[in-house]
Amino acid sequence: MVKTNKYLLIGMGNSGRADDGLGWAFLDKIAQNPAFNFDLEYRYQLQIEDAELISNYENVYFIDAHYKAFDKGFDIYPCEAKSMDSFSSHELSPQSILALAKTIYNKEPTAFILGISGQDFRLHSGISNIAQHNLDKALQYFTHSILPILITDKSHQLL
Amino acid sequence: MAQKIVIDPVTRVEGHGKVTIQLDENNRVSDAKFHIVEFRGFERFIQGHPYWEAPVMVQRLCGICPVSHHLAAAKAIDQIVGINPEDLSIPAQKIRKLLHFGQVFQSHALHFFYLASPDLLFGAESDPLKRNVVGVAMAFPELAKKGILMRKFGQEIIKLTAGKRIHGIATTPGGVHKNIQAKEREYFLDGKEIPNIHTMIEWSLEIIEFIKQYHLDHKDFLDSFAAYPSGHLGLVNKENGFLELYDGNLRAIDAEGNSTLNDIPCDDYNEYFYENVKKWTYLKFPYLKHLGREKGWNRVGPLARLNVCEGIETPYAHQEWLDFRAATNHKTNNRTMHTHWARLIEILYCAEMIKSLLEDDDLLSTDLVRKGNRRKEGIGIIEAPRGTLIHHYEVDNQDRITRCNLIVSTTHNNEPMNHAVKWVADHVLDGKTKITEGMKNQVEVAIRAYDPCLSCATHAMGQMPLNIQLRDYKGQLIDEHISS
Repeated sequence: MVKTNKYLLIGMGNSGRADDGLGWAFLDKIAQNPAFNFDLEYRYQLQIEDAELISNYENVYFIDAHYKAFDKGFDIYPCEAKSMDSFSSHELSPQSILALAKTIYNKEPTAFILGISGQDFRLHSGISNIAQHNLDKALQYFTHSILPILITDKSHQLL
Repeated sequence: MAQKIVIDPVTRVEGHGKVTIQLDENNRVSDAKFHIVEFRGFERFIQGHPYWEAPVMVQRLCGICPVSHHLAAAKAIDQIVGINPEDLSIPAQKIRKLLHFGQVFQSHALHFFYLASPDLLFGAESDPLKRNVVGVAMAFPELAKKGILMRKFGQEIIKLTAGKRIHGIATTPGGVHKNIQAKEREYFLDGKEIPNIHTMIEWSLEIIEFIKQYHLDHKDFLDSFAAYPSGHLGLVNKENGFLELYDGNLRAIDAEGNSTLNDIPCDDYNEYFYENVKKWTYLKFPYLKHLGREKGWNRVGPLARLNVCEGIETPYAHQEWLDFRAATNHKTNNRTMHTHWARLIEILYCAEMIKSLLEDDDLLSTDLVRKGNRRKEGIGIIEAPRGTLIHHYEVDNQDRITRCNLIVSTTHNNEPMNHAVKWVADHVLDGKTKITEGMKNQVEVAIRAYDPCLSCATHAMGQMPLNIQLRDYKGQLIDEHISS
């Protein structure tokens, strides 16, 4: 199957801090799906050069752990570009990266944030049971509701 | 009333540090210190591990310059398996050098574009909310684009040689793991997916023109800010004394250019260096034994390297070095802010060397590993982006590391950075009734010129007292433990 530059999934977080590894865990699982053949990137945190990365894609999904306990165990929402207004540029938000992509590269990929509820963020390898449960739900949603759209879209591209 | 100014954390540097400046009742500076507050302990916990794990483990000292530690440790481990640097196969030497130049290139690009440029472009006293890499990207997108791509290029070179951009593995005792395939190097030469090496050289020249013009426009500032006399230390090429980043002899000069360390072989470093310890910082203070604690300390890094060398083997960088030397009438350059200029010349040098190596068919060879006779210790010294990096290991008959000594680049710069902090305190803050954010940032500007890697540099020597305090959310002390 031909890879496309249309879709990118970025998993963010630190897998050495328990549920903060949810972003990476999501990518690990989705990559095992034989129907999935899109680009993945693992990040501890977003940095300025990721603006260059996403400028090469039309659609970007940022996947990260979330402190909030969502009813469904996860939430997915549009990510809008917003200039950073913080004393620190050490760790940039998806919104800041989108703003940079627009300013530097004049590119505006459509972006979403998939936040998966986590509970334990201590120094520890492996995610908690609750986080695993939420991860499974997020994966199920993505696999059934979003992945078919990506695949269909790519099929149209190849025709 | 006496007061203490605290800058915590120092920003736009790697790692964690703080500055304290003591003012007396008349707002006169009575003391200024740069404290490193991180405690790592690599030299201790690496003991007991098999020696071949060292080049992998020590990379975790840093996420910006892990390659330097990987290569310095690899050189030391080479000696343990009986291989000196010159005994490596030619292809292995060149692949390691390609890795090294790639990482110096990207590290220097990161420092200039991401960390230092906000002060230079906006001014040290500009709005701190804009005075950062995002502010630079918003205001100067074309510059940001080049900075990002230059860093990416260097990181891709690292990935080519070490398998991944951060914490990859290129070396094996006595050599390297893999050669370079012809198709792999085309990626850097054809310009199809990323700008090619010729563009990198072109952009490196452009950015040097920028700093030269900046120097003309801000001469007083760049020439005088945090400038003070010091020694300078670096590796030089064994044959001709030229700039040398991978393997050479140790050379040091004083502030006037007189020799204080005359091309010493790396294996003899321990005869010449001591390290002092202070209770107010976890960073040690190396110095040359024969000069003593007060006079024996040296700057390391780009400024020092361009001071101690007698030229640069690549044509464009050599010409730029001549222009750089002319700025001080070919005398030793003690101007701290000129470090940025020197750093950009090294970017150019690395780009030219990368081009030369990418066009060299030795990279394709399968002659990658040499074997020798086992030794009990190994020393590896390399010029990391920030300066002279020393790794020294001793091993027992069960192949376990029994002793590890690391003198990291930023450690050499500890005394120089403290001098820089004191200079700014004396010249900018002294006697002032109001201390502004911009004044405090000038302290940081002086530190940033050294591009310190504070996480790398902090280590312990001997038995360090450890004070652990448990405080509640109000800051009240609940419990305390002190081990001496």
